[in-house]
Amino acid sequence: MITCGIDVGSLSAEAAIFVDENLEAYSLIRTGPDSAATALSALKVALEKTDILQQDIEFTVATGYGRVIVPFADRNITEISCHAKGAHYFHPSTRTILDMGGQDCKAIRCDENGKATNFIMNDKCAAGTGRAMEVMASLLQIQLEEIGARSLKIDGDPLKISNTCVIFAKSEVLSLMREGVPINEILAGLCDSVAERVKTLVQRVGIEDDFVISGGISKNLGVVKRLEQKLDVCAHIPEEPQIVGAVGAALFARELLEKQKSSEKRP
Amino acid sequence: MITAGIDIGHQSVNAVILENDRIMSHATRVIAGEVEAAAKTVFCGILERAGMKAARIERLFATGVGREKVTFADGNRTEMLSHVRGSHWLFPAARTVIDVGAEGSRILRCDSEGNLTNFVMNDKCASGAGVFLETVAEMMQIPLSEMGPFSLDSSNRVVLTTTCAVFAESEIVAEVHRGSAKADILAGVHESIAAKIAAVTKRVGIEAELIFTGGVALNIGVVRALEKQLEHDIRVPKNPEIVGALGAAILAKNSA
Repeated sequence: MITCGIDVGSLSAEAAIFVDENLEAYSLIRTGPDSAATALSALKVALEKTDILQQDIEFTVATGYGRVIVPFADRNITEISCHAKGAHYFHPSTRTILDMGGQDCKAIRCDENGKATNFIMNDKCAAGTGRAMEVMASLLQIQLEEIGARSLKIDGDPLKISNTCVIFAKSEVLSLMREGVPINEILAGLCDSVAERVKTLVQRVGIEDDFVISGGISKNLGVVKRLEQKLDVCAHIPEEPQIVGAVGAALFARELLEKQKSSEKRP
Repeated sequence: MITAGIDIGHQSVNAVILENDRIMSHATRVIAGEVEAAAKTVFCGILERAGMKAARIERLFATGVGREKVTFADGNRTEMLSHVRGSHWLFPAARTVIDVGAEGSRILRCDSEGNLTNFVMNDKCASGAGVFLETVAEMMQIPLSEMGPFSLDSSNRVVLTTTCAVFAESEIVAEVHRGSAKADILAGVHESIAAKIAAVTKRVGIEAELIFTGGVALNIGVVRALEKQLEHDIRVPKNPEIVGALGAAILAKNSA
């Protein structure tokens, strides 16, 4: 049984291919201006790693921000459900998931079967999202991937960035740079303010162990470590945290396909 | 009696010299570097323009977020009070003042005497502030002062679905790629800023007349969009950005 999950996010897109219960291959690409084309190239990149052809895929579920425009999908399922299911696949005792994506942030609660039971989402404001990190990386002229590690190379507590709004925080960071504050100190302040912002989101939905973080920002140790401290928990991060939504979608595809097959068998 | 007011905002300094009931001179300057130095430059500029020496100013009041940085002022007052006083002096029927500057907005209510009765401010989010307009002007390569008139030619306004200024930037880029007309995109931006300002205004409650002050009031596109959303006519002073400084000068005059 070959199924596929496609997650088209605002900044990145992922495809996950499952053969029966196993993750056979996945891809992770940058979202382009055309969601349909992005979805197709994510699928092709994943298929290239296997002997599977596109026509071999029996069922495809699309999820994420661009899910309604994936032309080859059989079904769309919200990213909330898919993230819960995906996190449960990687870590079966998951009860709380924080997904920190490019343009939104979701705190999700799920039951022992990986079914989402409640969630809180911020998709109105760029503060605390991957986009904010990108804006700051380009302002400070450093690589996105460097932020986390460099933000931990400081002595003492991180400085406080007083503005929440990314636009205002940009001017604040610029004046810190002008004052000669070391970049690592500024990065520590930025990571701390992201952690502070998502902390309230997680607290509002209520935290129950085990706690999993998915999405691009979970690759930023500077945010993760500070969030763990603030929440006093240990976070589990899947090996590739950006494919959790796509994996969940592929697992839904599998369930839907099974259901379809069993109903076909009925007389 | 001759008094002066200096308004130190996030981005610019405005100053006014008032002789009894007449504005003698006024000036606006973007802050570059030290706030105090910018305040001095603007103050010297208005003195020169009015053809008078500093000694003739009987009292100088500072206002605005940086009011405490003006060490040569005789006193200071909050920008809330100054905007209400300035608006009421210009338009005695003023009851609601909408002040939108570079980094935020304030909605102020006053009584028939020009006393501040209530206010709400938003300085946490750039989506309803002047900086957003500046960013868009830069992206669309249009002078800030031309955005308003240009947007009035829109026949098919673009609807921006996001509120956040950072997200709106990507939406605007997408609209540009899609080939949407510049006027339609700008009209969409003005509508979105007006919606944010209108939401705050409604929280305070509206009473006519409505006065729009601050640099954003210079944008006719935002003014029209806001009038539509609030279902009220809005009066814009000839120099909306100097109303705070004017109010400070009036307060200086009346503090005797």
